[in-house]
Amino acid sequence: MRIIAVIPAYNEEKRIGETIRKVRPLVDGVVVVDDGSSDATFDTAMQSGVTVLRHAMNRGQGAGLKTGTEAALQIGADVIVHIDADGQHDPSFIPVLVDPIKRGEADVVMGSRFMGLRPEGIPLSRRLLHRAIKIFNALVMGIPRKLTDPQSGLRAMNSEASRRLDFRQDRMAHCSELLRLITRSDLRWVEVPVKVTYSEDTLAKGNKNLDAVKIAWQLFIGMFSK
Amino acid sequence: MLIQIVLIAVLLGALYVTWRRMRQNVITLGETLLWSVLWIGAGVVIALPQTATLVANFFGVGRGSDFVIYASVVTLFVLVFKIFVSMEGLERKLTEMVRRDALRDLPKKEDAG
Repeated sequence: MRIIAVIPAYNEEKRIGETIRKVRPLVDGVVVVDDGSSDATFDTAMQSGVTVLRHAMNRGQGAGLKTGTEAALQIGADVIVHIDADGQHDPSFIPVLVDPIKRGEADVVMGSRFMGLRPEGIPLSRRLLHRAIKIFNALVMGIPRKLTDPQSGLRAMNSEASRRLDFRQDRMAHCSELLRLITRSDLRWVEVPVKVTYSEDTLAKGNKNLDAVKIAWQLFIGMFSK
Repeated sequence: MLIQIVLIAVLLGALYVTWRRMRQNVITLGETLLWSVLWIGAGVVIALPQTATLVANFFGVGRGSDFVIYASVVTLFVLVFKIFVSMEGLERKLTEMVRRDALRDLPKKEDAG
């Protein structure tokens, strides 16, 4: 089984190199999508010898993931792993994510930060944000409450699931949109515990509390867009 | 009153231009009629403000001019919303182009990484 990791990166010159180094031994291929960075992300990624694609302008994390996923399918991926470039996802969990797919027990595996392994450095405000997103996901998006992590960016899926999950949100809202598509399809999905490390850097770049409103708005407008 | 004369003159001008554009085949007959109804309706409300109050009372609003404001807010809201949706459509097309450009040089079924 050919496992390919997809890493969207936007202005991650400081961290992308290390992330690639850690991810590479655990997979058969790496596709980095430089999402219109203004720093040296593209060159740094190229130096590591993996497949690097470049968005001519910044289109958002969701757009980057989709480009990377299409690329991975084109180069013959059987399993696609989505992982953040900023190092908050511990790549050592990749085998854990891929395992249920290898065994033929699941089509989509999502990493959950809330299944036992305590996340490191997660601030209270972020916890409240997750709770708000979870309620919104259940009531508005119709995503089952049994899903423990409403905003997990670490996931693996087989090629069939990748082809079928046609997510269109370019920015932050792709996460909720994907969850909705996954849980409403007949794809077999499962959550596995993963550990996420929050640092000042990643927090500064990650979701801000106001983003919950932005995400809700993007999803709302998205409902009326083709 | 002066404001009534000015506004009605403007509306008559708009009506004239609308029908002129129809004769020039710029807009269809349906569009022409729609615009005409709008201009004439506005003209009636300006010339006889009590008609607006009549409509307002029908909707449960006390004053005609209040009703016009409410209706304008709703209309503007709908228009702004439509702009948001069409912007999103453009953004998605843009992303699709950026994606196609990014994937252009990708080898097929070859070794990666």
